[in-house]
Amino acid sequence: MTPRDRDWRIRRFIYTDWLRSGQAPRESAIAREFGLSRRDAGLALQRLHEAHALVLQKASGEILMAHPLSAIPTDYRVTVDGLCLFANCAWDSLGIPAMLGGDALIEARHPLNGDQMQYAIVGGELQGAGLVHFARPFRHWYDDIVDT
Amino acid sequence: MLFRSEDEIDIWRQSEGRARGAVLALPQVWDLSRRWYGDRLAASFRGRTAAGAIQIFQALGLKDGFWTVPPS
Repeated sequence: MTPRDRDWRIRRFIYTDWLRSGQAPRESAIAREFGLSRRDAGLALQRLHEAHALVLQKASGEILMAHPLSAIPTDYRVTVDGLCLFANCAWDSLGIPAMLGGDALIEARHPLNGDQMQYAIVGGELQGAGLVHFARPFRHWYDDIVDT
Repeated sequence: MLFRSEDEIDIWRQSEGRARGAVLALPQVWDLSRRWYGDRLAASFRGRTAAGAIQIFQALGLKDGFWTVPPS
């Protein structure tokens, strides 16, 4: 199913609302915003999911990811203008300030020992160091987008 | 996942039984992020095409098989 024009407006609303509130909007809120039934809102989200424009939770159909944002807490917490957001992965942790074009403080949990690692974007410049390991080849990312 | 060194990556891979993937330094990932996500909030954004992804990866020198882009 190819997304329709309204679906892309829904996608825009998802990002705008998320970046205002710090939380992914629920399907019911999207339905209210666009005057849709829950079923039609769910179908719009499903079309966006199939187009890889967002990722839905398998069980509930609610939003799991709208890259680079994660709807659930992760090991990558990004603070922007006092707003706490979660990124899906190390790449996405930098994707949030890249998307917003602003400063950000990133607190990552070390995968081996749980230590907190910090890095930041200040004035468009990266402050911090590290190595990012990408586990799956790009062509397989959407085989299991949670495990990239 | 973010690590401090190649040694840490090897320890993690061995503990998880994972093959080595691709490793980029954090500044490279920042470059990648700016190109990949810089237009994400544009009203005209309609997803990343295969051609667009190839262009971004090639601009950053990511040309090996790991970064091969499937057709849209």
